[in-house]
Parts: sequence; structure tokens; C-alpha cells
Amino acid sequence: MGLVRKDRIRAKLKSGDTTVRILLSHPMHTGRGQNDAGDLIPAQFIQDFRCWRNKEEVLTIECGTATAANPYFSFQLLGGERGDKIAIRWVDNLGAKGTAETTVK
Amino acid sequence: MNTTNQHRRTLLKGAISASTMALVATSGLLLPQRLLAHWSTSAFNAETVEDALLALLGQAEEASTTGLNFKVGSPPSYAVNGASVPIEIQSDLKNIERIAVLVDKNPLPLALSIAPSSAVKLPFKSMIKIAEDSEVIAIIRADGQLYKTSRFVEVDIGGCA
Repeated sequence: MGLVRKDRIRAKLKSGDTTVRILLSHPMHTGRGQNDAGDLIPAQFIQDFRCWRNKEEVLTIECGTATAANPYFSFQLLGGERGDKIAIRWVDNLGAKGTAETTVK
Repeated sequence: MNTTNQHRRTLLKGAISASTMALVATSGLLLPQRLLAHWSTSAFNAETVEDALLALLGQAEEASTTGLNFKVGSPPSYAVNGASVPIEIQSDLKNIERIAVLVDKNPLPLALSIAPSSAVKLPFKSMIKIAEDSEVIAIIRADGQLYKTSRFVEVDIGGCA
């Protein structure tokens, strides 16, 4: 059992195209931040993010440490219809993973 | 005599294994390499914009500054908190192979490297961290051509912690 992850994903049909909005739950430590005791927090950040529509891979994002904490991504997919499955998966530099799935509304 | 020899032996042994372990650790053999297979390590660890672009795209000179609409901050070109600065990339270019976002003054400039398929339609929106007042650069590679645009962003509170 890892941390409780709350990755949010919304997909909506808007004038023929699918708008996808994603909010991942991740601290994105750069390795330069300090905790309250003044110790460096080791780097932990999402490196690889993928998005699928109905099992077809539509987007890959590689993130660096300069991606904000709790990364937010928003983009559109051409076409699509209600009920399409949008799935995402991310992996961070320490090997932690997360997935989320939604259907287009 | 015998005991001193024994002692020397264990000491030597310990020293050797410690040094080899240190070597293994620094060479990165203990990292989960398979997981990182798709991550452009050299590009993301580059400390200048040119190095990052060379490592990521294999070329650093840009061809054109048009065809690419880029917004950073809200209101544009200003950010109260550098830890999460909104960005938006819009373009009418076709066959986009890669979109990269870099922050010039960040310790590690490359923030995002996006590889959209033909099904993806821009605008693409996200949030990045900006350490201090800096040029923020967006680069698109489409049909083998590079398109680049940049915005200067003022930051009140640096956000690279």
C-alpha cells in the first residue's frame, strides 16, 4: 500500500473535439528544496507521462524538475465521441507509478 | 604474526568492497534503468538551453519564430508565485513531432518535452516552475523544422525549491 493518490482526469466533448484536463497528485521535489529541519528533500518527480484513447496512445510527455508540483495538463483530441475511454499512466524517477481512467462525457 | 596478517586481510577486503560499491553507486548501475528508458536523461540534466536542445532534438539553431503562439504567466509575462506558472502553447502547424518548454535561468532549463500524436489538437496548457526573472522558451519541431518563441517573465517569489 503506497500513498493515497488522487489523480484527477476529466474529458468532455466540446464542439466535436474532446477536451482533456488532467491534474496529477505528486510533490515534484527537485532535490533542491529543504524540509522544516533544513535537510534537503531528495529529488522525486514524474518523468514519463502517457495518455491513451481507447488503447491508442495519443500523447507522451517527459517532465523535468521544472514541472510544477501537482502537474496540470490540458489539451484537446481531434474527434471522439461520448463513452471513449481516456487512460493515463505516469512513472516517477524512483519508480512510483500511477494510473487513472475516465470516459468522455 | 598470524593474527596481524588476518587483520590486514579483513581490512584490505573491506576497503576493496567499499570502493567497488562506491564505484557501482556513482556509475548509476543501481538505478532502475529500464524505467528510465524513455526519459532523455542528458537533455533534462543539461544546464544550458543550447545543451538541452542539442541533446533533445540534435539541433539548436531555430528556423523560424512565427507560427507559434506562446503565453506564460497570468497576467501574461508576470507571475506572483514562480512555483506554478501557467503556460499555454497554441499553433496551427501540422505534423508536430515535439514541443519543448525551457526556462533559461532555471538550474536545469528543460521543463517539459511533449510528443503529441496526430490526434492531439493544441492549445496545450500546463504549469511550470520558474526560479527567477527569466526568458521562457517554447520550441516546436514540425516536419523537421524548428519553430521557437520566447517570453520574458517576471517572478515575485522564485519557485525552484
